[in-house]
Amino acid sequence: MMHALKIARSAKLPRLAALLVTVAGLGLAGCDDHAGDPKMQIGASPELPALQQYLMPPMRVAKVVGWGEETPTVAQGLQVHALATGFEHPRSLYVLPNGDVLVVESNGPKAPISRPKDIITGWVQSFAGAKAKDANRITLLRANGDGTPELRTTFLDHLNSPFGVALVGHDLYVANTDAIVRYPYQDGQTSITAAGTKLTDLPGGPIDHHWTKALLASPDGSKLYVGVGSNSNIGENGIGAEYERAAIWEVDRASGAHRIFASGVRNPTGLQWEPETRKLWAIANERDEIGPDLVPDYLTSVRDGGFYGWPYSYYGQHLDPRIVPQRPDLVATAIAPDYALSSHVAPLGVAMYTGTDLPENYHGGAFVGEHGSWNRTPLNGYKVVFVPFSGGKPSGPAQDVVTGFLDANDHARGRPVGLAVDRRGGLLIADDVGNTVWRVSSSKPVAPPKPAS
Amino acid sequence: MKHVAITETTFMGDTNSRSSARRRRRPLHRMLVSFSAAYFAGALVTDIVYWQMPDVLWERFSIWLILAGLVMAGLATVAYVIDLAGRRRIERPAGPRVVGYALAVLLSVVNAFVHSRDGYTAVVPSGVTLSALVVVVLLFTAWVGMALANRQRVGA
Repeated sequence: MMHALKIARSAKLPRLAALLVTVAGLGLAGCDDHAGDPKMQIGASPELPALQQYLMPPMRVAKVVGWGEETPTVAQGLQVHALATGFEHPRSLYVLPNGDVLVVESNGPKAPISRPKDIITGWVQSFAGAKAKDANRITLLRANGDGTPELRTTFLDHLNSPFGVALVGHDLYVANTDAIVRYPYQDGQTSITAAGTKLTDLPGGPIDHHWTKALLASPDGSKLYVGVGSNSNIGENGIGAEYERAAIWEVDRASGAHRIFASGVRNPTGLQWEPETRKLWAIANERDEIGPDLVPDYLTSVRDGGFYGWPYSYYGQHLDPRIVPQRPDLVATAIAPDYALSSHVAPLGVAMYTGTDLPENYHGGAFVGEHGSWNRTPLNGYKVVFVPFSGGKPSGPAQDVVTGFLDANDHARGRPVGLAVDRRGGLLIADDVGNTVWRVSSSKPVAPPKPAS
Repeated sequence: MKHVAITETTFMGDTNSRSSARRRRRPLHRMLVSFSAAYFAGALVTDIVYWQMPDVLWERFSIWLILAGLVMAGLATVAYVIDLAGRRRIERPAGPRVVGYALAVLLSVVNAFVHSRDGYTAVVPSGVTLSALVVVVLLFTAWVGMALANRQRVGA
């Protein structure tokens, strides 16, 4: 009797194993996305599909392979060369009045683990090169005639996850992740050793989910505008963690006092003045995990006091069910952004082109550095695009300007981040995976492309 | 229980097949199964609290409780295999218990993924529903197991 039972028992085991395997397979099969054409989501009125919730959100990061002997591919009439290489995670760029280029080498603070998911996310990100050491440094490059640097110095060191830089007169402002710090700067200076003075605190740790703080001075120099990203994807760290975040701050340069200039912008990673209308424009990274085509990241003019939806809604009044309690009063006022860049492209750099070196068709418009998706199949972004402007507004579809950041196998040679226009009108691109600063110029001049160091 | 212990010492070394069956030791997996069931039940409680009062803290309790339950379930499975291999005592009938428990664990795996979503929909409505379903399956399994065991005992 006892033996018979035991045999019956052991017969159950393979059945259980088979059941386990079947269900595990079902869970993984849920990864298959049906992503639409990103082109349908570029411009003023993107197609917005119904939102979907995942059992297992797709994580599709491009494996890092580096550039080797390759260089990015540029559109017709342009040429590209490496201005300098060998950086540690260069994230943003700033051009000083004398033409010196500041390269901000930075990475975010260590993310805390609140949920088992954070362990998985951290692990996946390490494959995308996003877990590089935080250099916390700004390097200065001084270019000579042919666009290669003749001088490379450590301009500022021991910063705290810096991103934005702005110079007003002789005051150089660095937006660390937790504060704006002012340093005295003299024309031609190649290194700052003076201690900084804190202008104001910014929302930083302990979570600091979106850590980059974009910085832009007003044309008259009296105000600083700061892009402060949200502390979560969609409020999963509690609404208390979002205090004064997902907003563009206006900081008074004299007193350090601030007010919220615009809110509901999930992660404003770049700010620029539109040269014709002198209006403030921003790029923003929208929310994840509700589908491969939701929500499109965007480029928009920023209205004083405007609310742009996050976390309660997107593109105006499209409600997000993941945030409770809802705020119908705020949603009613939510502004739809001006120009969609398509979903999950992760715009991390914007530069309004005011130079004259590049061909005519790039005069008047915005370059946008798209770092690239990590949760969408097929991949989207991983390029620099140009959005033509006319009369102070986008006037056509975004054009690919610099591509080739992905190889034929969808492996990442590099990923574009911050952009800047140098004094001679070339477009500079920080590449935080290729650890390079690229310079794009018109192919007409005879300057020989010669990569440095 | 006491009786078993006494016979065990008394008949130690006896090669008689009846007494070797009595000598079977306590199963390892039982306590681990209880632990996992308690974790899953805890997750239902924190889910209900979150549903009524959506503070992210409760949502986090839930996912860690579910994960702890799954870890315990994994250990229980290993222990069950050891019990089978070591011919330790296993409650009879084992079949319905194994199937019921496996179903609860599989639902919890799905629930862990649902609970890893961001925001309110990690819990309401699918998360809390799954948590409740897991507890119902566990209770039903326990009840069926006990009822069958009693019937066998009465029938013996």
